[in-house]
Amino acid sequence: MAYQKRPMSSYQPCDTFFVESYEDFPAPRMDPKEHAKLIARERQYAIADELSKVASDELRDDILSHMLDMDASTLPDVESIDIQTEIQWFMRPYLLDFLIEAHTAFQLLPSTLFLTINLLDRYCSKRVVYKRHYQLVGCAALLIAAKYGDKKDRVPTIKELKSMCCSLYDDDMFIQMEWHVLQTLGWTIGHPTVDSFLQVAVMDTPYDPEVEHMALYISEISLFHREFVSKPSSDLARASLALARCILNRPQPRHTEWASQYDSMTLVGLSQQLHQPSQVLFRKYSSVHYSRVSKILEQFLARQASIASYTPPSPPSDVNTESKPYEGEVGLATPQKAPHPSNMPHGYITPPITPENDAFVNGGNASFVKGVAGTSACSPSPTPPPSVPYVDSQAYSQNASFSQGQQFLQPQMSFSTGY
Amino acid sequence: MDDSPRGLKTRLPTGTRDMDSSLRTTKIPHPQHPASSYLDIVSTLVSPKSFLLKHQRPKPQLSKAPASSRDPSPTMDKAQQPSSFQQLEKLGEGTYATVFKGRNRQTGELVALKEIHLDSEEGTPSTAIREISLMKELKHESIVSLYDVIHTENKLMLVFEYMDKDLKKYMDTRGERGQLDQATIKSFMHQLLKGIAFCHENRVLHRDLKPQNLLINKKGQLKLGDFGLARAFGIPVNTFSNEVVTLWYRAPDVLLGSRTYNTSIDIWSAGCIMAELYTGRPLFPGTTNEDQLQKIFRLMGTPSERSWPGISQLPEYKLNFHVYATQDLGLILPQIDPLGLDLLNRMLQLRPEMRISAHDALQHPWFHDLPQLQAQLQQQQQQQQQQQQQLSGYGGMVATQQAY
Repeated sequence: MAYQKRPMSSYQPCDTFFVESYEDFPAPRMDPKEHAKLIARERQYAIADELSKVASDELRDDILSHMLDMDASTLPDVESIDIQTEIQWFMRPYLLDFLIEAHTAFQLLPSTLFLTINLLDRYCSKRVVYKRHYQLVGCAALLIAAKYGDKKDRVPTIKELKSMCCSLYDDDMFIQMEWHVLQTLGWTIGHPTVDSFLQVAVMDTPYDPEVEHMALYISEISLFHREFVSKPSSDLARASLALARCILNRPQPRHTEWASQYDSMTLVGLSQQLHQPSQVLFRKYSSVHYSRVSKILEQFLARQASIASYTPPSPPSDVNTESKPYEGEVGLATPQKAPHPSNMPHGYITPPITPENDAFVNGGNASFVKGVAGTSACSPSPTPPPSVPYVDSQAYSQNASFSQGQQFLQPQMSFSTGY
Repeated sequence: MDDSPRGLKTRLPTGTRDMDSSLRTTKIPHPQHPASSYLDIVSTLVSPKSFLLKHQRPKPQLSKAPASSRDPSPTMDKAQQPSSFQQLEKLGEGTYATVFKGRNRQTGELVALKEIHLDSEEGTPSTAIREISLMKELKHESIVSLYDVIHTENKLMLVFEYMDKDLKKYMDTRGERGQLDQATIKSFMHQLLKGIAFCHENRVLHRDLKPQNLLINKKGQLKLGDFGLARAFGIPVNTFSNEVVTLWYRAPDVLLGSRTYNTSIDIWSAGCIMAELYTGRPLFPGTTNEDQLQKIFRLMGTPSERSWPGISQLPEYKLNFHVYATQDLGLILPQIDPLGLDLLNRMLQLRPEMRISAHDALQHPWFHDLPQLQAQLQQQQQQQQQQQQQLSGYGGMVATQQAY
């Protein structure tokens, strides 16, 4: 009875439409209710845009510069966290998983999660924290962040937090820890979060939920890694957005000057952490509400991996056609293709033809550079940084995963040039 | 986890020993701290250097402060005890706090002490977290300074710069039937808009502007107080709760249920306040949401989809709104000059996107003659102050204040 089927299932004879169809159409389809919701949200965005026109035209520069100041003054200090005696970096992802689940359960604002982690890390940059209190600090940070940004009726009660911690801590311990965090941080709570910078960065472009969700997903993945803990939110936001656009094959639009200037090292760093996201995060972003971006990303990475495993035997002529966009000088360097992807230094996003010196920057990738206003910072395959600490991934993600990451990330360049 | 949860109470202080102090063996003593050993211990416990650097606040400008006295604790730590302040009379009671006049025992400086009772169930109130963190970001001459936060077992005490009275009280005692003179109105409006502009530039919405929350001191300065409802906003604006702003000063778009309001809601309140400065009475003293809208429409005209595209999509929009024609504001404000009327009309635009911004309002020609007027005003005030001092000293000046 094909005529009774909803349009969605008519694309696929299979009735389990969860096992699906991303390959066929890039955007996952959603049921009409969700669609209506999305339209309503879009309209609300439009109204908000309209309303803030006056405010934003006039205030954007002031607000942005204030946000950047606040961003710089509210960064955690990884080196202080390094010298913590009891708590170790490998414990942090477990706490983050817990906090993300709590954050989702209480339906708090996206910025509340980023703020929570910022408060947690800043506290841990200033105080010695016992292992048995780590979760308590996390809960206190969540409580403060929710009180700061969320509606009153959404703020978790201490009773709820206590039960989430399986009554490990007493009621008054939450209260004590809450104010100890507040005092330690000198009541400076207004850290501008990654998502607030994302909003600024996308405000001049048409609303594209998939890109925003992907950027948010990438930024939340970055929360798990030590190398990003002391990175300004503004850098993370712009790099996540640029990377999200690469992955989703969207052009890098040239909008406000600020938003288009992202740091390529950050982007490369982020791209290397995509392969093994926290399962909690993966689940969170696999919902329709978040455009199922975690699945999109997974499929993208899988596709990249299969291309990568295919690439080595491919004849050099292939590579040559691929290198067409590059200018002569760079093209000359092509024959130095590494026979095995695993030989690539550190597994950076480097297509087989990338030379190992700075010459690449001059050549550039035409279509990519277009969006990036002349800064050489845009190249997705810069020379690797001298050293990248991987300390944080010791226990949580096995080291074995790196060789995997190398494989499917390697050809990303060809992907981003391919449109 | 073998520890009993009780462990925190006894172990937290040692467990959370300051990391910086363990890092840096040499501790630079705070120059203004007395050699009291108790304070030294406390400062090594909880005042990392970075902390001191980040939170410098203007030192109280009290010339007679003896060199040996220390300023209100720059570290917001336990070093500052409530007993450092002598609590004087009660100034007012707000929804979640009580305000007292206070005196710094060391410096003799007057302060306002806002006491917030801590809910033993849920910890620090969100209003306090927002108010303190936002006020720490907002250092401006037209915004009341927060000197210190003192945390005791069951209450939180915010130490503010002392202001003599709020604008409501000022109007009651100063003007004839509450009306103020042109020069004062202009000066107050200029300071009000400067304060609002500063908040907005730093992405803060005050959301509760009204005469009770504007504080006046003897120098004729007006400052914004009570940031209990304030919050930081993003670009573009997020959706907020529409339970903001005292009804009389609430913007029509908020009354119509818009949740995407922005900086323009503070401008509407400023417009209402400006009219009130002229008449001594609130411009739109509504009793309910509907009544409030009706009072606004009666004067400003009932908006339609034609004059305000998109209005019919707002949740509280009713097709059967009584249709009023737009009135001339000049009729109810006979004292206002044409330029002032122009500015007022720009602030009281029904459509939020048509409302003038604080920054533009400050450039309005109405303010061009402010410097001359201010010179006159200063003279007047000096005279008045002298008179008052002769009459009663400070005794008769005390007014209720809720606005901290």
